[in-house]
Order: sequence, then structure tokens, then C-alpha cells
Amino acid sequence: MASTWIKPSTRPTTIDDLVNGVDRYNPTNLSILEDYLYHQIRSEEYDCLANLAILKLYQFNPDIYNPDIVINILIKALAASPLPDFNLCISLLDERTAPSHLDEPDPLPSTLPQLKDLQNLLYRCRFPAFWETYLSDEFENLRDNYTVEVTGFENSIRQVAIRAVTATFTRISSERLGSYLNLEGDGLVSYVKSLGWEIDSSTGTIIVPPNPDNQIEATVVQEQIKLPQLTKLISHAVKA
Amino acid sequence: MSQQRMQLWAAEADIDEDVDLNLAIGSYGQSDRYDDVIQQPQIDEATLLAMQQHMVQQNAFAQIPDPVKAFIVHFHQAVLDNNLAEITVAYESGWNKYTEKFYSKTEWPEAEVIAPLVNDDPIFLILYRELYYRHVYSRLQPDIDDRFHSYENSCELFNYLLNSDGPVQLELPEQWLWDIIDEFIYQYQVFCTWRSKVRSKTDDELGMLAEGGPVWSSYSVLNVLYSLMQKSKINDYIIAQRQGKSPEEIAEIVGEYGQRPLYRQLGYFSIIGLLRVHVLLGDFTLALKVMDSIELNQKSPFTRVTACHVTTYYYVGFCYIMIRRYPDAIRTFVTILNFIMRMKQYHTRSYQYDQISKTADRMYALFAMCHALSPSRLDDNIANIAKERFSEQYAKMSRGSQDAGAAFEELFLYACPNYLIPPDPADPTSGAEAAPQLDATHRHLSLFLADVAAQSQVPTLRSFLKLYTSLGAKKLANFLDADEEEMVQEMMVVKQASRSISRVPGSEHLTAGGLLDGETITTSDLNFVIAENMVHITESTVGRRYAGWFIKNTERTQKILDDLKALPLPASRSHQGQGQQQRLPQAPDSSQVKGGGSERKVAWGGVKTAA
Repeated sequence: MASTWIKPSTRPTTIDDLVNGVDRYNPTNLSILEDYLYHQIRSEEYDCLANLAILKLYQFNPDIYNPDIVINILIKALAASPLPDFNLCISLLDERTAPSHLDEPDPLPSTLPQLKDLQNLLYRCRFPAFWETYLSDEFENLRDNYTVEVTGFENSIRQVAIRAVTATFTRISSERLGSYLNLEGDGLVSYVKSLGWEIDSSTGTIIVPPNPDNQIEATVVQEQIKLPQLTKLISHAVKA
Repeated sequence: MSQQRMQLWAAEADIDEDVDLNLAIGSYGQSDRYDDVIQQPQIDEATLLAMQQHMVQQNAFAQIPDPVKAFIVHFHQAVLDNNLAEITVAYESGWNKYTEKFYSKTEWPEAEVIAPLVNDDPIFLILYRELYYRHVYSRLQPDIDDRFHSYENSCELFNYLLNSDGPVQLELPEQWLWDIIDEFIYQYQVFCTWRSKVRSKTDDELGMLAEGGPVWSSYSVLNVLYSLMQKSKINDYIIAQRQGKSPEEIAEIVGEYGQRPLYRQLGYFSIIGLLRVHVLLGDFTLALKVMDSIELNQKSPFTRVTACHVTTYYYVGFCYIMIRRYPDAIRTFVTILNFIMRMKQYHTRSYQYDQISKTADRMYALFAMCHALSPSRLDDNIANIAKERFSEQYAKMSRGSQDAGAAFEELFLYACPNYLIPPDPADPTSGAEAAPQLDATHRHLSLFLADVAAQSQVPTLRSFLKLYTSLGAKKLANFLDADEEEMVQEMMVVKQASRSISRVPGSEHLTAGGLLDGETITTSDLNFVIAENMVHITESTVGRRYAGWFIKNTERTQKILDDLKALPLPASRSHQGQGQQQRLPQAPDSSQVKGGGSERKVAWGGVKTAA
């Protein structure tokens, strides 16, 4: 599973060479990586390590820093929760004075706390609160200018919720799931169907298909005695 | 001075004004003399300065104690001869001995001063300067000149190693090579820290910094490390070794540089150096990726230098913590802490012992934190030591209480590496606001604390769940005095906390994955599932482990038996003893006890021999 995180199947070879080699430090390659980010945004793909490479170039060359790119990377990373991608991105963002070469004021300082809030809510699985915050008035700027560009942003957040629900539940009521996904009624039904889950129409409960996480059984970890442990014993017996 | 002379001469000419010839002759003679005199002060000045310098040097030279002079000559000779054993001895014990004895508070003599002793050999002087600056950085306070010069010296050294025609014939001990790389990164680190404290600087220093340009810039440091890696083709070498290629094939793959042990070791240590630099700059995934080809086990070459070994594990473990892979981090720390415990007895003489102890202490702190966040049945020995050392913090952390946050913060700040803000190549005085250095550390700290806070309810919930096999959600919510929906969401967090990506031991050879690889595993014994509003809980337990105990005791008894058999027999019993001995070997397992009994027939009162 981690291998797809390290190298997504959708990553083209040029990007792969760039990320794995020394060329990632070359600022002239920045445009290639930025284009790749826009590609990810438009086609619902995600490549964490390539985006981190962009942030690292910004770290070393503050004069080519582009706050919009940073915000887009952070938005993409939100959808990867509970993986630590968002935190990794923040680790590479240094505090710095507003760079003078920008035409408009730097939007990052105002959006960053908002994004951090959203990430916190997602990590703590507070999904209803997440939707509430996200759809509130204060976040209008974020919604209108940034997340609207990212194709399938809301669906990717729903995926986060689905991952958490799949692991924890075998059956879940529709209202609860609806509140996590910010869907209801027919929207909810069609979404659940698209996941391939069943709805028990009499009670409105949704059945979560079995997976390694939600099948639990009590195990007793038995000790296994292996032959190598007994070699000394047996050889002594044979010798003597 | 010549000006004065001319005026004087002109004045004298004024006096002798009537006879031109006289003047001419006089002035000729005078000018001759004066010329001489005029020129002489020039010569005198230059030579005077040279003489003064020479005298200063002579003075300094004379002040060098004789044993030190002898040592330097001996050292130089060893380096010229490529006599690795001698160099090792001189480097490890000789240098430290003389530092302690003569130079514990001052600098070693400058390279220029000792140059005559070594016939101005530039290579040895570069190496000498490397040691000289290392001493300055560790015992004394380097000023801006020292910093700039040490950077230049390092550049010269690496230039010599990398850009000469073909690989150099030098051979240096591994410990020294590691120290070169280590020191290089350390000086870079302190330079960044020092730079950011701009307020305490004089204008001169600011000026020098502004002109400094690429001095100690991140790019140059990274450049050096990457170049060493590429020149020695160390990654290819390791892969080829792992694939079991023959020495000829390997030689072809790595080229002439890679074959020389000097370059190979430098390349190897550069990888570890890169790991460290990336962590300091906050890029944890890249740090782990760099280590792709190196296997973290006791057989790897980096274990030959203890300091390198410890450093590697510390940084790898720390990376794992920052990417939330606590089981991997725990495993890393346990390995290295066990190693350090065993090695303690042998290493007390090394001057790096203090540093290793300090790192070990930090790792205990990190281990305590990981253990609180992701408890698992593990090496009890290390867990006990960690709990003892940090008992109150550990208690607070594992309860998930209010002051857990403070305890985590304390330990994190104690144990984390000194993060850096990379200097901006365009504007060297940037990053000069109030202590940005501290900001980097605090930024990472706040990320970590946010994670911790998210998991703060987990221990409480787990303790409740342990008591039941199935429990209604409403009931659980009542216990916690919490809203049911809130609590259900918290349960999802608990579930999330008990899963983690970790390297699964079996599969690593197949995928040859690096340290970033892994699969999701459950880390907790306690497992649960929610079916609508009912929570079902199971716990996995460990069966009784008896094999180890039995094997140990069986072996011990066998040993006793062997010892007894080897004892000389009392004379009177020679026949009986021998006869009985021959019957013993038949079924030692089942008859251990009886065999012993037959020997001591008298003592045990009559247990007959085995058949």
C-alpha cells in the first residue's frame, strides 16, 4: 500500500526521474512539477512526493515562491488523511516575510489556519463538524477561489470518511452516514450504490462490506517452537 | 619616508644653490646616497615585515612543545606512507592526547606555523586545518573569520578529493572520514543558527555575510554530499553487492573512483550525511528515501563506526515519528538502544562516548513518547529503562490526560534535532526576525502536538473497551459523559490510531523496498467493530510462552551433566562410575534427572540408574 504512495501508477517517467534524482534541486525544473500539480488537480490524481519536491524548491529558492501552488498542494493533501501528507507539507513551509515580488498580497497567511482547522477536523474524524466549517461563510474565499478548481474535492473528502467508516463499522445507519458524507436522501442512496454497498431497505441501515479491518476475532498468540531453537538440545543428545 | 627624504634633499639643494656643477655633483652623490637610502627603506619595509612575520612564526614555532612537533612529523610521515594503522593511532589517540595536554583551552598552532615541519605539504596542511577547525568549533567559540575559513578549507579538501585527475592515493581511517562528513554538516548547522541571530552582530560581520554568497549555503552542502555519492557510485555498488555480482563486475560498475576504499567509504557516509541534512531541513520522506539502498541491520558497513551507527538510527527513528509510523520508530529505537547497552562497556574510553550517551538518552525519550502513543507488547527491557528514566512524563503521557500535552512537549523539545532554516542565497540576512531558528522547531512541535491531542482520548476509551465484549454505544457514552455521536467519531479515531503503516519483516526481500515501504498493520491488541449502535470488542492475548524457559533449563542441566562427567572420579568408585557413565548416553533427554541421580547415588538415596 505504501508503494503506491511512494510511486503512484499515474506518475509519468519524467516526473519519476526528476523526483528520484538530483535534478529535483534545479529551480528550472519547477515549472515541470507545477504543471504536473495542475494535471493532478484536473484529473483527480494525487502524487505526494512530487508535491513535496515543489515545496522543497520553494524552501531553497524563496524568490520563486508561489502561494497559490502551495494552497493547492495543501488542499490535495487534505484528502489523504489520515496519512501524514498534510503535516509533511507544513514541515517544509518556512515562516518568512512576505516576498516582495508578488503582485498581490500573500494569501497564504490567512488561508493556512483555515486549512489547518480542516485538517484537524478530518484527522479527528469529526466529519459533520468538517462539513459545517467548510460550508460556513468564513471559508467562502477558500471555496470560491481554490477548492472549486480542484476537481472532485468533495468526493475525495468523502473518501476519507468512507475509509474511516469502513474500518470501524459493520452496519451504520443512513442518517449517521449521511451526516459524515454531507449527503442525504437520493444523493446518499446513489453514492452508496456507487460504492457497491448494500442498503437494507426496511431499516435504512447500510451494510459495510467485510474487510480486514472490520472483521474481528479473538486470537490467542500461540508460541511456535521452531526446530532451530532445539538444535543445541538435539545435537547434544546425539553427541552424548 | 621617501617623501621626507626628497624634501630634505630639496632643502639641502636650496642651501647649495650657487654652483650648478656642485649641485650636480653634490646632488649626484647625494642622490646616489639618497637613492640608496630611499630604496633601502622600501626593501627594509618589505623585508622588515617579512622578518617580523618570520619572527612571529619562529616564536610561535618555538613555543610548540617538542612532543607536539615530533607528533606532527610522525603523523605527516604516516600520511605520506599511507600507513593506515599508524594514521589511525595518531588520529585517534595521539591528537586527543596532545589536545588534552597542551591545547585544551587554546587553539592548535596555525597551519602556517607548522608548515616547515611538514615541508609545506598542501594535502597534509588541508587535513591539519580540518582538525584545527574541528578543535576550534568544539572547544572554543569560532568567530566569523573562523567560519569562513573553515568553509574554504572544507571546499579545498573536497575539491582535492573530487576534482583531481583521477582518484587520489590517500588513505584515511574510517573514523576520520566519518568525522569529516559529520563535522562538515555540524559546521553548516551552527552557521545557520549563528546567522539567524543577526541582532547580535556587528556591521562588519553583516557586511561579510552579505558578500559571503555561497559560504555555507544549502546548495553547496548538498552539492558536496551528492557529488561524493555520485563519484563513488556507492548506490550501484551496494545494489551490485546485494545481487552477488563478482568483484570484476562490481569493479566495472563502480569505475575507478568507486574501487578505492576511501571514496567508497566517503560515498557511504555521505548517504548518512544526506539523511541528517534532510531531517534538519524538515523533509522526512526524502531523508528516508535517500537511505533506499542501505539496509538497517547489524551487518551493514556503517556499524563499523559507532557514532555513525547511532546517528543513523536516531535520525531514521525520528523520521518515522514525524510520519506517524510509531511501530517502525519503536522497532528502530529498540534495536539501537540494545546495541548501545551492550557496547557501553567497551566504549568508555572513546571521546565520543559522551555524545553517544546523550543521543541514547534522547532516544529513550523518543521511545517513551512512541510507546505512549502506540503501546504494544514489546521489549520489556528497554521499556522499563525508558519508563524509569522518564517516569513522570511517561505516566502523564499514557493516561492521555490534560498535562499529557505538556509532557509530550517537554520530551519532544529535549529529543528533537536542531532544525534549520536554510539560508537564502539571494538575501543572506533574511530569516533575521525574532529567533526563526526556534520557529522551525516550534513548527514541528506544534504539528506533533496536534497529532497527540487528536489521540488524547484513545487511552481512556481503550481502558473502557478492555472491560467488555460487547457494549451499547449509548452506555459507553454515559460512562464518558459525552455525546453519543461525538463518542462514535472518537471511536473512529481509536480505530485509526490502532492501525499504522509498518514494514513487514517477511516481504522486504521480495519488494526490495526502502524504509518508506510498508503495509497497514494493527498495532493494538484490542480490536472492535461497531454494528449500528453496538460495539463488539475482542482482545488478542498471548499464550503462555514456555519453550524458552524449558530450553534454557535443559541446556543448563546438560552443562551441569557435562561438567560432572568431566570431573575426576574418586578412586574407590572407578568401576561403578565408568559402568554407569556408559549407560547414560542412551536417553539423555528423558533421563537427565535420573542420570544425575545415579552419579550421586549416595546423596539422593537410591534412585537407580537408567536402563
